[in-house]
Amino acid sequence: MANITPKRFWGLMKIHAQMDLASLMRDRAYMMSWIAADIISNVSSVAGIFLLAWKFDGIGSLDRWEVLFMLAYANVVMGFLSMCGSPNALFVSRIIGRGQWEHMYIMPLPYPTALAMGFFPFTCSSTFVTGAVLMGVSLAQMNLALPWWWGSALVGSIAVSMAIVTALSYLLSSLAFYAPVQCEEIATTVLSSVQHTMSFPLSGMPGYVKYPLLTIFPAGLTAWYPTMLLLGKTGGAGAVYPAVFAVLLALVTSYVFGKGLKYYAKVGINRYSSGGHRC
Amino acid sequence: MRKLESTVTPPAATAADDIAIRVDHVTKTFAQWQRGSAGAGSIRNLFKTEKKLITAVDDVSFTVRRGEFVAYAGPNGAGKSTTMKMLSGMLVPSEGSVSVLGMSPQKDRIELMKRLGMLFGNRTELWWDHPVIQSYEWKKVVWDIPDEVYRRNLAMVTELLELEELVATFARELSLGQRMRADLGMLLLHEPEVILLDEPTLGLDVVAKRQMIAFLKRINRERGVTILVTSHDMDDLEEMAQRIVMIAGGKLAYDGSFDGLREITGSLTQFAVTVDGGEIPELEGCRLIGGQHGVYEYEADLTKMPVAGLLEKLAKIEGIRDVEIRRAPIEQVIGELYRRWKRNG
Repeated sequence: MANITPKRFWGLMKIHAQMDLASLMRDRAYMMSWIAADIISNVSSVAGIFLLAWKFDGIGSLDRWEVLFMLAYANVVMGFLSMCGSPNALFVSRIIGRGQWEHMYIMPLPYPTALAMGFFPFTCSSTFVTGAVLMGVSLAQMNLALPWWWGSALVGSIAVSMAIVTALSYLLSSLAFYAPVQCEEIATTVLSSVQHTMSFPLSGMPGYVKYPLLTIFPAGLTAWYPTMLLLGKTGGAGAVYPAVFAVLLALVTSYVFGKGLKYYAKVGINRYSSGGHRC
Repeated sequence: MRKLESTVTPPAATAADDIAIRVDHVTKTFAQWQRGSAGAGSIRNLFKTEKKLITAVDDVSFTVRRGEFVAYAGPNGAGKSTTMKMLSGMLVPSEGSVSVLGMSPQKDRIELMKRLGMLFGNRTELWWDHPVIQSYEWKKVVWDIPDEVYRRNLAMVTELLELEELVATFARELSLGQRMRADLGMLLLHEPEVILLDEPTLGLDVVAKRQMIAFLKRINRERGVTILVTSHDMDDLEEMAQRIVMIAGGKLAYDGSFDGLREITGSLTQFAVTVDGGEIPELEGCRLIGGQHGVYEYEADLTKMPVAGLLEKLAKIEGIRDVEIRRAPIEQVIGELYRRWKRNG
């Protein structure tokens, strides 16, 4: 992020946060419906799996509170990603496929800054807050004696999981450079698949289910595997696997996305019609 | 005809720092997929899709000096928007180079965007679900506009574009004319030295159009802002710009004044004659366009018939009460040019 000082970046985050607050508080009915919808949606996202874990006193090698920790971890990862970044930054195939990258061309900002500068702590924080609260509840119920470095390991692990989700979204969204209409919503498909799969405990699953989800479609690396590491159920050399995977995936994504961007500058994407609507 | 090169006047030699926009032998080609229709065509598409190479811009060169107001025109598909996108860095030329304020739109994008403004008539830079003023505040932060510059420019655009009533309204609730005014106001907040406008009057009603044209002329005159504008409305372009660059079929076809353009098509002049009585006056060498109730409109080529000769003929008309002579509308001139270009391939 060349030329962008921390103060300037803070200013960019602040203006988006102000706009987010203004957006939420545009009127009372809108605000109340937004909050109600968010609560219902977040409770539903964890209820199904947690009730199964409650009923059967755990899933695989995870007990009910460990399952709750995993669900909370998943919510923290996806919730933090939803809160940060410019609108649709995580769903970048929309920006590409709709021809909206052109709005970014004209901003005097490096592309990574333009994508990362958004911050929406009011309308998009509910998943993160729900996750953080549930994580606190699950940790309290598990009554673990955590080492002093555990907090840093948790933060690092969440950062790695976020990197994997983001890289996966950007890798597949690169297809939108070549087929904008067909792939406009590919990020939505990818992220919704990750979100559905990440919240299922893979403990006890056969290898042909587990290993693809730790390599080809790495949803298992975004909640289940980190949970196993953080709760001390696996370890050794495997502890660095998510970080190594994240770095490799980020490198591949960076190469593929860069190629796509060059292609975009060569052929353009002409999806605007008069009136500003895409066709 | 179609001696297009002969209609292009090379710009006079100018110092490099006087050039705001330079387009140097630029060519842009696109591959266009050719697909068959349903049935056998769609099966064939799966295995062998044909590609056709389209040259949207073909070896085009021109420069725009600082402070100039230049119209960039041409028929549909001529390559206007492609050129605008290359100037703003959204597309890379296949061959040749472009520079704006001495900078490459691709390599120096960030620095250039602080000094360049762009407005595309078919899209908005306003935040759709926020009041207009919120978009302006957002721009101030993203473009890092100093407080004093922002306040001065906000006051200026609010007054000149009559935005006071609009700034608290959500962008999605504005009419097209209002939205264009608000977009134009946003464009000017960072004091761009060069403005690229692609169809800025698209869909605007007469009042909104007049307001926009007057404003653009004013900022060009008073602030020396360089403007390159495309439009389908030639009358608008003539009213706004001092010079017109035309492309047709991707090639540069004309670069010069609007009057010069009229001369190419034969300097057609229209005039209306008002006479007493019911007889339609016959004027040799003039074409009757239409008329009724004693007012008749004609067209004459003044390169073939001198004005003195025309006046002599008019003086001989019995019962003549009034004559009104005017230049051929630029739309008609351009229409004639397009027809000729099409005829000549």
